[in-house]
Amino acid sequence: MIEVDRLVKHYRASSGAVVRAVDGVSFHVAPGEMVGLLGANGAGKTTTLRVLATLLRPTSGSARVAGCDVAIDPVGARRRLGYVSATTGVPDRLSAREILRSFGELHGLPADVLEARVETLVDVLDLSAFADRPAGRLSSGQRQRVSVGRALVHDPPAIVLDEPTSALDVIGSRDLLALLADLRARGHAILLSTHRLHEIEARCDRFVVIHGGRVVAEGSRDALVGDAAGLEEAFFAAVGEARGG
Amino acid sequence: MTTPPVDIPDADRRAPLPALASIAAVAGFQLARLLTPPRLALAAIGIVFPTAVLAAAVNGIGTSIEPRLGIPMLYLLIPEMVCMLGLLVTMSPLVADELERGTWVHVAVRPGGRRGLLLGTWLAAVIWSGAVALAALALAILSDCIEGGARVAGTFAVLILLSCMGRAALFALPAVIVPKRALVASVGVALVIEYLAGLIPAVVNQFTVSLRLRTLLVAWTGLRRDIPAEFQLLVDINRPWYQVSAVLVLTAVFLAIAWAILEWRQFPPSDES
Repeated sequence: MIEVDRLVKHYRASSGAVVRAVDGVSFHVAPGEMVGLLGANGAGKTTTLRVLATLLRPTSGSARVAGCDVAIDPVGARRRLGYVSATTGVPDRLSAREILRSFGELHGLPADVLEARVETLVDVLDLSAFADRPAGRLSSGQRQRVSVGRALVHDPPAIVLDEPTSALDVIGSRDLLALLADLRARGHAILLSTHRLHEIEARCDRFVVIHGGRVVAEGSRDALVGDAAGLEEAFFAAVGEARGG
Repeated sequence: MTTPPVDIPDADRRAPLPALASIAAVAGFQLARLLTPPRLALAAIGIVFPTAVLAAAVNGIGTSIEPRLGIPMLYLLIPEMVCMLGLLVTMSPLVADELERGTWVHVAVRPGGRRGLLLGTWLAAVIWSGAVALAALALAILSDCIEGGARVAGTFAVLILLSCMGRAALFALPAVIVPKRALVASVGVALVIEYLAGLIPAVVNQFTVSLRLRTLLVAWTGLRRDIPAEFQLLVDINRPWYQVSAVLVLTAVFLAIAWAILEWRQFPPSDES
């Protein structure tokens, strides 16, 4: 469902130097699977996710979303992808319902499908108490739920989330992760980047650890953890080995 | 090995005119964003300012302004100044606002996102600036500062519409090329292209909106015969329909170029601050 194959993304910095943000990353996420993308700041996680979201073009290699190559068929990929970022970026003056409707219209959804979809999301994401309140008056947790709804408005088969719980409290994080578990159970492919390893340790099917733009470890929790005390320790070990090597 | 694209039953059922729906959606939320007290205060100043200037002139000369002077004054104040200023504040932040507010990524990941953002913002800018300019025109005419001002109301309404359409499309270019310096770049574009190049009687002024608007003004208000011979070069010789078509073509070309640039541009995460 989500396939990344030898993906390379280089930037040219303002100094003129080439920054190798992603340097040959490969992994995949199958339907009904939730994969955690782990790495320190600057490891290349956000760049990888933005290539998948067609916001950045790959320098080389390929990335496919639900069968659509992001470089060849970016519109097809966008129609099949839901993208959630850490910055909610919800317009302050619009209500949750208006935001969901507006973004559904950006997908060209017919009015009847859109209205039904908006009401489903209001219900599933528990937005009803504040669905008609301007987003500027919502808490950060409520705004993130609206942001998630906006990403799901077209019912995409593939979902990419870039640090979605960073602005949420414990309850908000738990609710969001429960929603993602439900989406996974319904066959969505979910790729999730986060620094809060303890939140996803028991929830993801597999993990991909990247460092310096390269995959340094990949596998299920048990395979990664091995003799280590937990995922966090295994993560440090994988990154530490990469830094040492 | 690659898999074929996954079917998405709901999203594969498209609205009859999805492009128009996405443009209307963006225009709606851009207009909602404009309804803030500072922007409304700015709009109120834009509505009152031309009449205040005309009233000051009337006060100075002690009588209504004759059309030969009043019509060019009204033109400079409304289709030029009010429209330009309105468009600068509504069109220049096209991309920069989205990057600063963190909404760019959410708009750009939609199938019709970038096109909707460009055309929806353009439509909102035209509606907002056009409404302010039309209100300013109505007030100026009701104030009776210009002799027979009501006779040119229709002409000015068309000039306002064309000015907003053409200049909003022109300002889309700096907005997508240099988003973070778009306001300064748009002022530069207005001064260098519209007012400097637009007044040079050469091929370059054929690509300006100002030449077309000036030509329509003198053609529709009967001022052409009053222009001294040495200034005849500042207006075009072709007929009004040609000028209107030229503005529409320039608008389409500017928007098409801006769209192509916007589709091509990439903004690294570090740009969102």
